[in-house]
Amino acid sequence: MNSLMIRVLRMLQMIILAAVACLPLAAETAEVFAYVQKSCVGCHNASVKSGDVDLKSLQTAKTFDQDREIWEKVIDKLKTGQMPPPGVPRPPEATTKSVTHWLETEFDRLDRMVKPEAGRVTARRLNRAEYNNTMRDLLGIDIRPADSFPADTAAFGFDNISDALNLTPALLENYVDAAERVVRTALFGPERRKPAAIHYSAPVRINETRGQSKLPKDLFNYDLTGLSTLHSAHFIHRFPVDAEYSFRMVLNGHRPNQSEPVHPALFIDGKLIKEFEVDATDLEGQNVEVRARVTAGEHLLSESYLKTYHGLPPSYHGPEPSKRPSVPLISALGKLSEKDIETMRKYGTKIKTDAIETRVDNRFESLDVGGPFNQVTTASPESLRRIYVCGHAAGKHTGACARKILTSFASRAFRRPVTPKEVDQFAGYVTLARKQGDSLEEGIATALQAVLVSPNFLYRIEHDRQAPAGNASVPIGPYELASRLSYFLWSSMPDAELLRLAGQGTLQQPALLDAQVKRMLRDPKSFALVENFAGQWLQFRNIEVVRPDQERFPMFDDALRLSMRRETELFIDNIVRQNGSVLELLDANYTFLNERLARFYGIPGVTGPEFRRVDVSGTQRGGGVLAQASILTVSSYSTRTSPVLRGKWILENLLNAPPPAPPPGVPPLTESKTGQDATLRQQMEEHRKNPTCASCHSRMDPLGFGLENFNAIGAWRTEDGKLPLDVSGALPDGRSFQTPAQLKAMLTGDRDAFARGLTEKLLMYAIGRGIERYDRPAVANITTNLASHDYQFSQLVLGIVNSLPFQMRHARETSQIAATMGERSK
Amino acid sequence: MNFLTGKHVDRRTLLRGVGAAIALPLLDAMRPAFATPAKLGSQARRVAVVYVPNGIVMKDWKPADPGKDFTFTRILKPLEPFRQDITVISGLANEAANKGKGGGHAKASGSFLSGTSPKYTAGPDVHAGVTFDQIAARRFASETRVASLQLGCEDARMVGNCDTGSSCAYTNTLSWKDPDTPLPVEVNPRSVFERLFGTVDPSLPADVRARRAMYRKSILDQTRDNTQRLTADLGASDKRKMDEYLTGIREVEMRIAAAEKDPVTPPSEKPSGIPFDYAEYVKLMFNLQVMAFQSDLTRVSTMMLGREGSVRTYPEIGVPDPHHPLTHHRGHPDFIEKVTKINCFHVELFAWFVERLKSTPDGDGSLLDHSAILYGGALSDGNAHSNSDLPLVIAGHAGGIRGGRYLAAEAKTPVANLFVQMMNGVGVETASFADSTGMLDLRA
Repeated sequence: MNSLMIRVLRMLQMIILAAVACLPLAAETAEVFAYVQKSCVGCHNASVKSGDVDLKSLQTAKTFDQDREIWEKVIDKLKTGQMPPPGVPRPPEATTKSVTHWLETEFDRLDRMVKPEAGRVTARRLNRAEYNNTMRDLLGIDIRPADSFPADTAAFGFDNISDALNLTPALLENYVDAAERVVRTALFGPERRKPAAIHYSAPVRINETRGQSKLPKDLFNYDLTGLSTLHSAHFIHRFPVDAEYSFRMVLNGHRPNQSEPVHPALFIDGKLIKEFEVDATDLEGQNVEVRARVTAGEHLLSESYLKTYHGLPPSYHGPEPSKRPSVPLISALGKLSEKDIETMRKYGTKIKTDAIETRVDNRFESLDVGGPFNQVTTASPESLRRIYVCGHAAGKHTGACARKILTSFASRAFRRPVTPKEVDQFAGYVTLARKQGDSLEEGIATALQAVLVSPNFLYRIEHDRQAPAGNASVPIGPYELASRLSYFLWSSMPDAELLRLAGQGTLQQPALLDAQVKRMLRDPKSFALVENFAGQWLQFRNIEVVRPDQERFPMFDDALRLSMRRETELFIDNIVRQNGSVLELLDANYTFLNERLARFYGIPGVTGPEFRRVDVSGTQRGGGVLAQASILTVSSYSTRTSPVLRGKWILENLLNAPPPAPPPGVPPLTESKTGQDATLRQQMEEHRKNPTCASCHSRMDPLGFGLENFNAIGAWRTEDGKLPLDVSGALPDGRSFQTPAQLKAMLTGDRDAFARGLTEKLLMYAIGRGIERYDRPAVANITTNLASHDYQFSQLVLGIVNSLPFQMRHARETSQIAATMGERSK
Repeated sequence: MNFLTGKHVDRRTLLRGVGAAIALPLLDAMRPAFATPAKLGSQARRVAVVYVPNGIVMKDWKPADPGKDFTFTRILKPLEPFRQDITVISGLANEAANKGKGGGHAKASGSFLSGTSPKYTAGPDVHAGVTFDQIAARRFASETRVASLQLGCEDARMVGNCDTGSSCAYTNTLSWKDPDTPLPVEVNPRSVFERLFGTVDPSLPADVRARRAMYRKSILDQTRDNTQRLTADLGASDKRKMDEYLTGIREVEMRIAAAEKDPVTPPSEKPSGIPFDYAEYVKLMFNLQVMAFQSDLTRVSTMMLGREGSVRTYPEIGVPDPHHPLTHHRGHPDFIEKVTKINCFHVELFAWFVERLKSTPDGDGSLLDHSAILYGGALSDGNAHSNSDLPLVIAGHAGGIRGGRYLAAEAKTPVANLFVQMMNGVGVETASFADSTGMLDLRA
């Protein structure tokens, strides 16, 4: 209703506009053609065909409808001032403005005349994330079997687009194997693993303190956990099963003699597991070991020194200075050569050579992870509860249970009630196994495997329904709607409540649907939207694979990598679950930090490894995703920033205006003119002198240069190398900025483009297909609705959930259905 | 460090492959499990492509003197011990990469083995051409357990466009089964191992294994029937999805049948994952191919040392900078030197593979004697995205390829002429492929 009224109002507006213009459409068309004839056709004709565009041949009555893509390019080139190119006479600014304005109004008009259609979503195969999550929710075990499957093909930047999700025989084989593995794990306990050792070498990151004691300026204000200092080492390790593992930390480096003992410690996921005490001057080869129980999956292992600047000799003027006497245990100097002393140090940890050792470069050499030991080998009670629904104790299940178990399991796996005939088939496997002399449980395992390789599980197949006479689209079924919702918001199967409402046939009721969407967004499972939608849209998923140069960025380690990812995840999760405004992505006065990241950002007052909400108003960096190190790092090269990549990132993701591919035959950058000492900005400016390059780079580069205050891993800087930074920029449309804050203000001013881009991407992600022309009315409605609701995230999601493409399916020709029905009855 | 077994240092070292000399004993140890006498006498021929991304520093690659006694250049130097087994080829071009729109890298790798320009898209409608390795794979499919292997040494989980609006399918894999179906690379050695040798736990009693295999067959059989029935109800695009699924089921069933007829015992325990060290990783992937060829589990493989446009860094050889931006060196000598170092490093690793193939007995000779292995890339000068005068080397003598020379082909000879020779060399008779104008005869 609401949207209909808006549409009516818009139409009225158009009529009034047309009346004011006082020109019949045909006359304006002629005006546009005249403009093109005068200013464009000289190059863009059939014979020259500059840029592969021939505008002369387009002068037909229906051209604005039929050749829409080309005309949109024309608008873009005119609005950004790229055309006509330098050297060609330019029409008056006002004329160009009126032409582009008319074209835009015309497209708007045409879009509103487009007959909206629901489209047809092809059967969607579960992608890797969906497969993992569905197994987790179905069986109650989180072993992420799909992590070893081949990568899913992405389309339009997302890996859940049905047409791109093809299936190779190799993947099918993975499905068959994974079905066996998850079922056996759920019913009989995890795979028995033999203990093995994995060795991690710590990166050498402490060169500047090697051979000399370069201490921080303020010894009374440093990270007491040591997790953010270069002395620490961090590794992400995947543990195959729940078990005990041994952790052997090998130390290296030195402490000045007369120091108190050092306290190396092991942290897992930022939680202190064990603190040790080592009393030695030369730490090389010293090692400590601990065993701890760890759950299966990825964990961050950190080795660090607690209170590393405490307990130094009084001459260091640090906190809690050592109370040890200054007399060395063995005063050897003068009697032995340095080499002898070195050798002695290796053997006796208590040997202190007073006059020699002054370094504070204690660090880690390596970490060895051994295990699993005392592995959990029994099945999880939660899994057994989910599968054996007939309520008997373990081992007491009767043959009669089989059908009950299989009906419940297959219905959940297929996300709809199973038919008795389907149950018969699955029960057949139990019979088969029993005949072979296997147990009932083995039989059930076989049947469950059959469920998990069925296309009814691996694909979400939506069935065609007869459309009512005169309608092209028909609502999808209640169970299909439940699945669309759950895979959209959770990347997983519908839960019991959604299935129950679908069974009652009430899920489609607007009030109930609204309440369900809000419930689902508040559920922690909505984190899937952060990981899978935002992670791909904003590309911060790539933070996992970037490898910043260790020489240039020694402070970049896995702990910082995870902290960066966590900041962005928590920030977006907050918008999702607290129903924040999507404009906060562009600029916000808060973010989420732990001590590691806060120190990296230079924001004081954050201690400890836990993340918390931090007010960033008034800081140099400011807020929003463009101030987040994850985004700034994935849009950089490993050794340096790239204004081109960052500018492209902004155009693609925030302004909904992806730059086209460079035309063929683009000449490479040459350094001859600028010399090799030129700043990046000078080199890029040289590059832009070529009009072909300038057409895109004049938009990309200034945006990227606006973020040059952030280095290639997102730390704040005021100069690049020794050269001072110039972070101002001017866009071809005349707007300019001097600081990152002004750049962000400018982007926030483009909120319409941002909201439209976000809507298109989220709709695409939700329905798993590309956006078609007939979706434009839906996109326009959702965007309008979003703007009128303070850009609340839940309104964006509700707009999508209530839209035609999400709720309906384009019906097949009736004759076609009849034909297949006939075929089937044969 | 241990990526394979965690137990035996000796065996572990073998598959890690720290060097050919150490690796050799493994082969002997493995032989009984592997190659039955009947196999040794077979006439199986293998074809493989080892792909290097981002072009090559041609001045340090291309020899100056065509013929038998050519001088090995700096980059090719590691191959010198195998002079008689390799043919260095210059002058070949891949015209398809110059046509159409799209990123220079995507067009290069996306057209390399098919001679077909990839469609410019980042969407699901990727389209290129069937690649020559897949034509060979189709021919051998009924004779081997695995039709072909597609391996990669770089995680291809990248989102977004891979190259200025061109799909990642074009830069991240080489092999296309048909014009609409790129075959994704497998990057995890453990998965490759399971693909070759299966996932069944060899420690289970034989009767349990047999019963489980029987259940599995029964599941596949019934699922196939059910799916066929389900398909009848569906629209055209859903039907295509189900056809793809059914093809998968049939292929898995065929593989199970083949495995039963001719059981192969896995040679060692499984690799546990991807090694951290790049050289170790690459050698492990090479070794898996040696194993697959040796036991005739497959005869066709393609492997990418990095995805086209790769930004891998190589700090272990003093190149902490990402590969791709370095290749756009703009004539800067430091950058060029670093690219050369990467080029040399890759060839060293390839030489290790050649050595492994040469030292592995096969029939009346070695695996190398019965293989045609192409090493090279679809770009020559990475700075200019140049698609002509491609850097290529053939190792092996399959079908009478002579070796022992540098062949400077006439400029702009289609690279497809070489593929025609490779296909014929492994017994896939064909007169032409893609834009070929004949066969580049390497026998004479």
